[in-house]
Parts: sequence; C-alpha cells; structure tokens
Amino acid sequence: MERVVCLDRSPAECTSVSPTASIWQDVLAHAITGELLAAMNYASLSEICDDPAEIADALEHAQNERGHAAAFAAEGRKIGVEVANNVEAKHWKRLRSSFLRCIEERDFVGCLIIQEIMLESFALASYSRVGRVGPDTLGQTFARIAAEEEEHIGHAVAILRTERARDAQRFDEKLYRLHLDVMSTLAQMLAKDCRDGHCEVCHSSCVKPALFEVSLSAAQLRGASLQQYLKTLDMLGIPGQVTLAWVTQLPV
Amino acid sequence: MNDLDFALIGHQDSWTAIADVLAVLRGPARTPLPDDEIKDIFPWIPPRALCCVDVNSIAGTRASGVYIDSFIPPDRLEAACVRENLARVRGAAANAIQARAKIVSLGGFSSILIEGDFDQLPATQDTVFTTGNTLTVAYIVQGIKKMCALDGRNIRNSTLLIVGATGDVGSGCARCLAPLVRRVLLCARNVERLRRLAAEFQAEGVQVEVATDPQRFSTEADVVICAASLPSPALLLGRIAPGAIVCDAGYPKNLSPTAEMPDARVFFGGLGQITGGLRFAPDFRGILNRHPFPDVVHGCLLEGVALALEGRFEPFSKGRGAITPERVAEMETIAARHGIYLAPLYNADGSMEGGAQ
Repeated sequence: MERVVCLDRSPAECTSVSPTASIWQDVLAHAITGELLAAMNYASLSEICDDPAEIADALEHAQNERGHAAAFAAEGRKIGVEVANNVEAKHWKRLRSSFLRCIEERDFVGCLIIQEIMLESFALASYSRVGRVGPDTLGQTFARIAAEEEEHIGHAVAILRTERARDAQRFDEKLYRLHLDVMSTLAQMLAKDCRDGHCEVCHSSCVKPALFEVSLSAAQLRGASLQQYLKTLDMLGIPGQVTLAWVTQLPV
Repeated sequence: MNDLDFALIGHQDSWTAIADVLAVLRGPARTPLPDDEIKDIFPWIPPRALCCVDVNSIAGTRASGVYIDSFIPPDRLEAACVRENLARVRGAAANAIQARAKIVSLGGFSSILIEGDFDQLPATQDTVFTTGNTLTVAYIVQGIKKMCALDGRNIRNSTLLIVGATGDVGSGCARCLAPLVRRVLLCARNVERLRRLAAEFQAEGVQVEVATDPQRFSTEADVVICAASLPSPALLLGRIAPGAIVCDAGYPKNLSPTAEMPDARVFFGGLGQITGGLRFAPDFRGILNRHPFPDVVHGCLLEGVALALEGRFEPFSKGRGAITPERVAEMETIAARHGIYLAPLYNADGSMEGGAQ
C-alpha cells in the first residue's frame, strides 16, 4: 500500500489509544484513499483542459484534495494510529479507470460528473455523518472538509447545468451511462457488508460491522450518500422520477 | 416541463406497498430488493415525483398531473416524527411547485400535518393547495348512508360516534350527519375543541355528548366514524355494539373486522372511483391505489383532480373546521360532473356489496 503521509511518531509513542481507534483508522483510510484518488483525478483533468484558468483550477483542486488527505492522516496520528491508503484497492481502482476513460476521450463534462456529482456526493454525505460523531478534532476535520466538498459540488453544478441547458437529452444519456458504470461500483462499496471479499483498504477485517461502536452504520452511510446523490441530480434539473429509478436499480 | 393541471402528494401506508413501488422502479429484469434493504434505503429517499397521472372526465375534459411521494416511512407516522414528516411534506410541495402544478392535493398524513396552517407550505403565486378533506368527508358520509341502506337501517334512529371529531374531517362529518341522526357522540383528545363543537350542535337542537375516551361511548353507538388512524384499534373499539356500522376513515386504514370487532360492519371510508379513465406512467395501477376495485383513489387526492377537471384552481379545502354540508354538496357535484363517484364499499376482507372485484 502507498503511504500518503510519513508518520513522525509511532502509535507506541502516544500516551493512550482509544478502544475505537482501530475503527477510526479504517474510516480515515477510506477517506484518505478517496482524497488521493480525487487529487489524481484532478491532476489528470488538468491535462485535458485547454484554458489556462481551467488548468490552474484543476491543479488547485488536486492540491486541495491532497491537503484533505494530509489533514485526515494528521487526525490518525492524533489518535495514535497509522493510517494507510490504497488507491489500487479493487473498487477505487475501478473508479479511477472509469475516470481515465473520460480523460482518454477528453470528456471534460464526463470527468466533472464522475468526480463532482458522484464521488463528491458520496464524500460529502459520508464526511458529514462522520463529522457529527467523530471525536474532538477528528469530527471537526471531517465536518470542515465536508463543507469544502459541498462548495466543490455547487461550483460543478453551475457548470453542468449550463452544459445540460445546451442539450438535455444528450447530457442525461451521458450521465446515465456514467451512473451505470460508476454508481454501480460505489453501490458495491456502500453495501451493508462486503460480500465480494475484502475491500483492500481496511487494515484487517471489514470495518462495517464495527461502525455501530462509533455511532455510525454502513446502512446509514449508504442512505445518506444516495440521498445526497439524488439531491445533487435534482440540482442539475434531471426529473426526480428518472433519478429515483436509476438509484433503485443499483445493486445492493 | 409543461405546466401540470394537478399534483397529488401522498405516501405509502405499508412496507408491502413500498416494496411493490420499488419493484416497479427496478423493473422486471432485476430481483426485488430484500425487505431489510428496503427498510434501510427508503427513509433516505427525498420527496419526488413517482409517476405521471392522466385523468379523463366523462364530460370530455382531461387533466394531466403527477403523483409525488413524500416517502414518509409507514412506521414513522407518530407524533415524535412530526418535524421530520413536515419537512418531507414541504419538500414534496416544493416539487409540485417546481413542476408548475396548478393545484395540489395533500393526501394522507400530508393534510393532517398542515390542515391547520397552510403557511407551513413553501410560498408560491402560481400553485394552490387543497387538503382534499371536503371530498373525503363527502365520501365518508355517502358511505355511511349507503351502508345503512344496504343493512336496511333508518339512519334517523342511529346514535353516531365520531372518533377524531374535532379534526377537519371529523368535524365535517359531524356537521353533515348530525341533522340526520338521533344522537351524536363526539370523541377527541382536546376537551376545549370538543366543547366548542358540541355547543355548535346544541345551538341547533342536536342531542350531543362529548368524551375524550372512545370506550365510554363504544357500546352506545350503532354508527361509528373513525376519522383518525387508531394506534390501538382493539383497545379503543373492542367494546363496540354488535352489528354497528364502523367507517375506517383514517390513513393508514387499520381496523380489521375480524380481529377487533367480530360483529361490526367495518368499511373503508373516504374513497372515490374515477369512471372516465385513469392512467399512470410508469404503470403503478393497483400499486399506488391498492384497492379491490379499479381506479379507486382516496377522496382527498380526488378533490384536486376534480377541481383540475373543472378548471377551478382554488384552495377549496383549507384550514380546520371550515367544512360545511353546503361545501360538501358543492364538491360532490363537481366530482360527479366528471364521473368521480363514491367507490364500492369494501374492507380488509373484501367487498361489502357482493359485487365483482
């Protein structure tokens, strides 16, 4: 696994490790992996932008996402755990591949849909829930980053609404195609339990069954993520009955 | 989206109904969602349109609308969830406004939540809201009269008990039926409202009594209207008089003739039937309207449909306690003009009329 942040002290150096530290360790590992993937996606996006302002914007986004990853890693250090990450884990790798297909096609809009509408909805909803229950600065960091991700979504929605206004049918068809690809992967990641084997991010066994110990649950995180996704699609102006059918057709 | 004539706001009354709705959305090629997954996912769905609804009038006009589900889970209808549910109704109303519906009917719990205060709905100039309670009252009253006729009873000799009497539907039923029966028993939780309503009838010479406990009256009444869903029907109506006619006018309907009142003649009230034609797209026929007869819909929703067919885009039913026999007659006439009539009577065991289903 790739290490994103070099730890400046070992867990043994910490005065005490909470009984729930190993749960937060995995929660943070998923968050850091997601942020690193986002940083990679924005860096790739900068390569297909023509406008210097867009290039700068994408690179700035990439830097911000790396900053988020570092902030999460720092929270791990505070609770005395080493937080790994793995952008090569099977689900995350599939998400990256989907994004790279849009890059190959120089499909700027497709890239925004995947990163800002799908992945960021998932991040915003999950971080918000963790932000409410996370201890001390860990919760605060999740809440702060959730607010920043929300800004990203708002910015992207404005761009995508303009794009949709040009040709709604074409836009919706593209969105649906990407939904089938990306959201099916996200739905597998969000399933209540990992039926298709280890996710390759959790440090030992799957963290999902233990989430109740920190007042979270996999079902709650999935529900909140799908709700945020539906709300984001609403903001794009796609009819609610259409998007509801899309979501109910996802694998569980 | 083009302007819509109407929007209907509702919610499902059981997990079975929800499972059926989701099965339609998933399509026949996918396996149905397991029950535990449905219960996990459903509460997170924001209010939104489920389908388009087209209604034809026997007078030749046609109205196009949309059914919007507030996605209130059926096990979260209790008082503790009022704020959450109100937010859902507001969300559904915002959907109706965004769809530019000219008139919106508030079905089931939606109207109960806001019947006292339309200001809780989003502000709008172009969309009007009606609770639909006037047509609900019309069909409850018609149903009572029809049941009395089917049983060969003279309603003028009846003692009428209304549970939930001070609500909009309960008080409307009381005003329509009080002049027709021998004695009226009013039951509700709010004593002050009960006294005010009773005083209204006493001034007109009606023999009326009030109580906060329906069991006090249950053996005395031979016609009972339950104008609110009862949390414990067996407790409240376990002592009902043998052979009493009982109208379950609540939502969800939860009075079972066999379990709680073996000798009572229970029927589901407040339902109407569209005879000019009703279409859903996607086809939710028999799923959104789960009744043993075709094209049966709750009166509260039908009120908006009838007003749309009539071209009267006005908040016909608004607030609490304003339903009079004259307004009920007016709404019945509007509905009937477009082929919307009292639905065949039935209960959980099937038809009460012995007709085909």
